[in-house]
Amino acid sequence: MSTLDQPGNLLGSCGITDAHDQLVSADEPLAELQQRCGGQLPGTVAIPELLALVQQARRLGLRIARSFTAFDGDVVVTGFARINPLAVEEGGGCEVLIDNWQRNTLNLPGSREFAEKIDAIDRATAEISARLDARQRIQVFSATAVDTIDLQNAAMAQPGAVWSDLVNLDTVNHHQPLHWRLLDGACCRFAGSQRHWRIRLIPLGGDVHAPTGFELLLNADEPPDADIAPVSEAAGAADPSPTRLVGTTLTPVLRQPIARIIANAETIRARLAGPLRAEYSEYAGTIASAGQHLSAMLDDLADLEVVETPGFAAAHEPVDLADAAVRAAGILGVRAQNRDTVLQVSGTKGQAVATAEFRRVLQILINLIGNAIAYSPAGSTVRITSAPAGEGRVAVMVADEGPGITPDQAERIFDKFERLGRGSNDNDNGSGLGLFISRRLAEAMAGTLTVEAANGGGALFRLELPAQ
Amino acid sequence: MGEDLIDLDADFAVEAILRDELARENRAAAAVVPVLRHLLSSDAHALVSEAILARVRGMVADCATQLLMAMDARVPAMQNHAAIDDCFNALLGNAALLTFCHTLANESLLAERFEQRRAIDPVLSPLVQELIAADDPAMASLAMTTLAAQSRFVQSQRRMVLPLGELPAELFHAVLAVGHGLACEDTARAGLKRLQAGYDEAASRLGLLARLVAAMRRGAVAALALEHSGLALFASALSAEIRCPRDIAILACHTGQGARLALALRSAGLQLPAIERQLMLVEPDARLPRAIAGLSAERAAALLGAGGAA
Repeated sequence: MSTLDQPGNLLGSCGITDAHDQLVSADEPLAELQQRCGGQLPGTVAIPELLALVQQARRLGLRIARSFTAFDGDVVVTGFARINPLAVEEGGGCEVLIDNWQRNTLNLPGSREFAEKIDAIDRATAEISARLDARQRIQVFSATAVDTIDLQNAAMAQPGAVWSDLVNLDTVNHHQPLHWRLLDGACCRFAGSQRHWRIRLIPLGGDVHAPTGFELLLNADEPPDADIAPVSEAAGAADPSPTRLVGTTLTPVLRQPIARIIANAETIRARLAGPLRAEYSEYAGTIASAGQHLSAMLDDLADLEVVETPGFAAAHEPVDLADAAVRAAGILGVRAQNRDTVLQVSGTKGQAVATAEFRRVLQILINLIGNAIAYSPAGSTVRITSAPAGEGRVAVMVADEGPGITPDQAERIFDKFERLGRGSNDNDNGSGLGLFISRRLAEAMAGTLTVEAANGGGALFRLELPAQ
Repeated sequence: MGEDLIDLDADFAVEAILRDELARENRAAAAVVPVLRHLLSSDAHALVSEAILARVRGMVADCATQLLMAMDARVPAMQNHAAIDDCFNALLGNAALLTFCHTLANESLLAERFEQRRAIDPVLSPLVQELIAADDPAMASLAMTTLAAQSRFVQSQRRMVLPLGELPAELFHAVLAVGHGLACEDTARAGLKRLQAGYDEAASRLGLLARLVAAMRRGAVAALALEHSGLALFASALSAEIRCPRDIAILACHTGQGARLALALRSAGLQLPAIERQLMLVEPDARLPRAIAGLSAERAAALLGAGGAA
């Protein structure tokens, strides 16, 4: 494992980027922040300050350590990032380790100041701006984006027109012109543009009850890219499917309160706010781990919904299994270290390249290795091997030194909610869904996931995928 | 005739060169007195003094020596004065490096003065003691490592040296670039590569201080009391709290920079009594407009950022 790893709760989260500053793998907190900042996994680092740090470390070729701040939409997240640039043969990216996650609610300034700031932001970003007279007739009109030419021409052709006659207001069906307060903040569309535009009407003149004119600003919610609109419509069409209740409705709502339970329980457990009796600290630890279980369960249920959706399919891209194994082992390194388990990865890069979806393969491997760490005795070795397997197939194997699995169990182990009587185990945080989901993911990539007895006892899970 | 003309031209050229040279020499001679006057009149508390000059010179020369040692371990670099001078002069070209060394020299002299006058320990402050005794073993060990780094810093400042690993990443990179400019052998380049691989900003004193401040989370506000946290931690906490370079935080603790300190503390959200207490430590005879309490933290930050330009 990396020399930067250190025990204790200061290590918050870690991730790996590649030579193009794409975040290819990340722990839960970092992955979540990445998504909340509008990024994807794998995808370019979406946390602006972190991206700058990663780029800097890669450019200088030096290990750097700086604090960073990000706003994830609800809270201000601060942390201390240590960034370790990797050699070209290790991917040419960076290892990102983040200490001291800290979530603070944003101190919103007074409402008046806040409104002024919003106005300033809208002015600075508006792609269409216009000046209207007191009856909302266009006096001056200027637009910059490509898809606004039609609207600009229409405005030029009818000088003095009421601006709202030139666009289609989304939500409002009254007779126009409307009172400006009803229009401020509404959405509209117009010919020539696929995008949704947000309307800002800022009154001019000293008296807001009788403005002498208006400043009209139109901001699009999407960038001017022709591809965007159809995609969002397609996603919108898929969403109403009744089976996606957990993933689209429950998970986003529940994630934040659960995260708050975990964070507060961790605060109590670590006695950050002052001394506390050891028993109470332990109770808080139990609350935190129950919260984490709940959170993992939610993720699993959301995944379950995805894999059970009719027509679920994975992407096809070349996936180097040796590389995926190294990444997965890297992500679970800290957990393995805590149980004194050695993760032994063998296999040459480029020898076993599958056609599959990298993210899904990584998800399966993390599940398998996580199980192997949890169910094998402390101080044992988990072997992860990737190799070609017969005609047009490649495989990656995860073998542990645990109690092994009987043929009877092997039949049931991939069933939904099957936990093989492991509920009493303290290390067990599972929902009984992990292997079921993993097998469904493997099948969606035209692969198989099987279990057999490993040499010298223990279980051996084999993920076979079509070769490239 | 033609020859005369050419000679005349050549004479003009020679004269022009000599005139320029003389003008340069005059400027150099004229600069002596103002610099001398500044150095003579300044006491130990000025932003530029002999003590600071000596430290900065020592630190840059030490960087040059380490760079040469890394590039060629066979010849003891200490003996190769010509090479050290070349490297030294190349490093002097980097204004950021000079600023950094100046800040370090300033920090060590200020810490010394706070120790003499206010009994503020430059290494083991009450806050560092508390952190070392923390329940959390990770926090305690981080505080311990920081303590060790700080005591090495005090020692190295007495010797007027600066280990290369103590430089921030940008400056370390700039120093390496100077090394690459001088290196002409493969062994020298390999030496620089080793130097680069051994660098870890998180292990440097400033990296450790920043990590410690981050690890204190919201408790970092407690570090905004100079007598409680010591200058090193105070400056790191202040720079993290108001997100300004640490240089500025050190500068703010200097005599004659009271307005900067007051504004910095205000933008970190401190109230008037706390600001006054800090200002008393740094500059007992300074007068602070009481209205600073009415200034919003944001406004204070804006004033600080504008640098008094507006």
